[in-house]
Amino acid sequence: MSTWQDLVTASLIGTERTGVPDSAASGPPGPGPDDPAAQLLDRAALMTVARRGGRPAAHAEPPPEAEPDPSPVVSPAAGRRLARMLGGEHPDLLAEWLAAAVARNRRAPAHLLPALLDRARRVSPSDPGLRRLAAEAGGSRAGWLAGLNPDWTFVTAHAGGGQDAWRLGGKSQRRGYLAALRTRDPGTARELITESWEAAAGPERVMFLSVMASAGLSLADEPLLEAALDERDAEVRSWAAYLLARLPGSALGQRMAQRALGCVRIESGVRGARLAVVPPARSDAAMRRDGVTSGQGGRPQERDARTHLLHEVLARTPLRTWTDRFGRTAEQVLALRSGPWAPVLFTGWSRAAMAQSDQEWMTALINWALAGGPTGTLFGAETLRQLARRADPARCARETASRGAEIPLPIRDAISVLRFRYDMLKELEL
Amino acid sequence: MSVPQARVSSVAERWDRERVLALAPDAPSQRTAQSLASGRAWPATGAGTGALWGECRGSGAAPYRAVVDLSGPAYRCSCPSRKFPCKHVLALLLLWAGGAVPDDAAGPPGWAAGWLTTRAAGPGRAPSGESAEPKDPKAAARRAEQREARVASGLAELDRWLCDQARQGLAASQQAGYGHWDDIAARMIDAQASGLAERLRALASVPHSGAGWDGRLLEEYALLHLLAVAYRRQDELPPPLRETVRSRIGFSLRQADVLAGMLPNGQPVRDHWLVLARRDLEQDRIRARRTWLRGRKTGRDALLLSFAAAGQPLDGSLTVGTDADADLVFYPGAVPLRAVVLAKHDGSDGGLPDGGSVAGLLAGYAAALAADPWLDNWPAVLQVTPARAPAPAVRDADGDALPLHPGAGDCWPLFALSGGRPVTLAGEWTPRGLWPLTAWDEGGRAVAL
Repeated sequence: MSTWQDLVTASLIGTERTGVPDSAASGPPGPGPDDPAAQLLDRAALMTVARRGGRPAAHAEPPPEAEPDPSPVVSPAAGRRLARMLGGEHPDLLAEWLAAAVARNRRAPAHLLPALLDRARRVSPSDPGLRRLAAEAGGSRAGWLAGLNPDWTFVTAHAGGGQDAWRLGGKSQRRGYLAALRTRDPGTARELITESWEAAAGPERVMFLSVMASAGLSLADEPLLEAALDERDAEVRSWAAYLLARLPGSALGQRMAQRALGCVRIESGVRGARLAVVPPARSDAAMRRDGVTSGQGGRPQERDARTHLLHEVLARTPLRTWTDRFGRTAEQVLALRSGPWAPVLFTGWSRAAMAQSDQEWMTALINWALAGGPTGTLFGAETLRQLARRADPARCARETASRGAEIPLPIRDAISVLRFRYDMLKELEL
Repeated sequence: MSVPQARVSSVAERWDRERVLALAPDAPSQRTAQSLASGRAWPATGAGTGALWGECRGSGAAPYRAVVDLSGPAYRCSCPSRKFPCKHVLALLLLWAGGAVPDDAAGPPGWAAGWLTTRAAGPGRAPSGESAEPKDPKAAARRAEQREARVASGLAELDRWLCDQARQGLAASQQAGYGHWDDIAARMIDAQASGLAERLRALASVPHSGAGWDGRLLEEYALLHLLAVAYRRQDELPPPLRETVRSRIGFSLRQADVLAGMLPNGQPVRDHWLVLARRDLEQDRIRARRTWLRGRKTGRDALLLSFAAAGQPLDGSLTVGTDADADLVFYPGAVPLRAVVLAKHDGSDGGLPDGGSVAGLLAGYAAALAADPWLDNWPAVLQVTPARAPAPAVRDADGDALPLHPGAGDCWPLFALSGGRPVTLAGEWTPRGLWPLTAWDEGGRAVAL
């Protein structure tokens, strides 16, 4: 009586050196072959089919069940779009999809979570927010998966953690704890930052500020930020200035408004009102304290130092300044003629609109650009690219006035992004 | 958005974007088609009586004219693209999917109507490249006789080669290069036994497939030997088994003959066929697609095969998770699985299949093996929970488990979908394990894995 393993062993050695094991199964009808090799193959064929047909079931232990998730899954259309984005279509809009789903208390389809978590793991740490968003949009299923695959443990680091994560955890756990707290309760997070500030080194202070930037920024944060403007660490200073510029009601905003109004005036001309622009003469210590850099390197050649200063000031000036002072809506301000200064105003105001999350201005700026407004420079094209990713697509035109095949690429790109986002957000409402 | 809302289409149920994009031959086509799917590029479009047509502005003076017969679907475009369907056809379908193609009661314009009429008058979906009837029956019989003789001598040579391997021992195979199998595979091509050539070429990877390679190689050699013996003694076999043997060797029946119902078992079977799963394989400059169906009423499983040259699209007319009301004709064989679509009727909705038990699957496979010992892809529809310990597997309510195929990867989407709970799963059961292909989510929607 031979087993399958006997046959395998005999076949490895070869019938010219070893005998053919007897087969347990009865042979085929008719006389068997004389050649031992053919006999071996005959018996192996019989046993192969017998083994395949008679294969017993195996044993396996499934993992414990995932907690049921109370939040409903997104619509099928939204799920298909997420799959497309994970497959490479507009990957830069992934965070927006996730944030919109989380805001609506919906979760990503379970079968897409592995690809989503892999993506979040790969892009991090350049984008720590994406990990948090992926974990939140994944719900309890993402946490369950993290228990099965060590690559995804960041999910649980963000989800839970508790006080221990803050007191004992490493850099990313501390950040995760603080970011979650800031999202839940911005005031308590600020108190925690304030009491930890003195003991923290420069890089950790930068982390505090970046967490403050990620959620819940308000005027209550101003005293902490204003004090940070006098820090020694240049990176801490620039973060603080950046955050204050996002708070239109801040003292920094008022200081910027004073500077900006000295540069841009409304004048009445023969052909109606127009804007007269005089860039700042030079930067001073007070401007530098407020984060206006004198701009070396990386800027296009044609932008001289003064133009650059104007741009920096505009980007930090509360947009209310213009509508209040000129007594016009954002659209009307943009309609004012400004001659060769139009591209600088466009980029400066666009940066301000994005920093202050001012949808009114973003919409007006996009519509201005799509209607053939002066985006002109390369710099303007990049600004339009960013605007199209930040503005509320439901309020934007998503069309251009210009016709035919000569629509400039940045405008075509902006339109396609606006449309994509419009459909994406609509699907998440379903 | 200023895209005009078309009236509710009376012509055919509108497809969704994914169904359209699934037709694309490759990812770049999907992208260009999406960028082309804007009203501006299409000054004239229309839909009616199961067809779409449109003129698309291109770089030249004359517009490209695209027309789609939705029943096939079949397409035609005046552009010179070698991709099929081309970006214009895809863009037109995308526009339609988005509700931007108006119904046109006046019917198609002349250039589209001509082609549509020819199609409607044609003999159904006659596969291209197969003429309806052999020209000269005598010459055909002579060719068949010559082929039979070539195959017989090829198989005799194969059997000698197999016995040589068993005589000299398989241990040497681990040092052998691909040429070892390629040579004998090439001989089978010369002998017009292409089915064997494929199987032999695939063997080259077995000695490097990890623990148990020796047993797997012996299994394959033994089954090939069994096939050679079966062919030699085919006159003693019952006709269905003889057909199985011949088709595994590479004698393929003409699809036209199968469709014409000229063969035993040739009666068409009409059912609502649920499209269970799909698997695409690249083999030697040929792309092959296996589509598994299960009849809702008959409970029968069917396998549709389609082939395309590299870079050409595969048949995408059936979408996984949907039902197709269709007449299928089965190829003859000891276990008739392979089928071809004779006619499609108006589609019906999908829905998830009934998942079976592991014991049921193994019993079904065993019964099928008894009739066709070479069967190594068997459709599986199971109600199971995926498990990772001690090895990746699925387990049913009775506690019976099946290993997952090592080649199927880590199967994370399947695990994520299940969350540790039972799912309905369709796939291919093979001697090395289960290859998962489709799972149904909690909303009853099919998810390709």
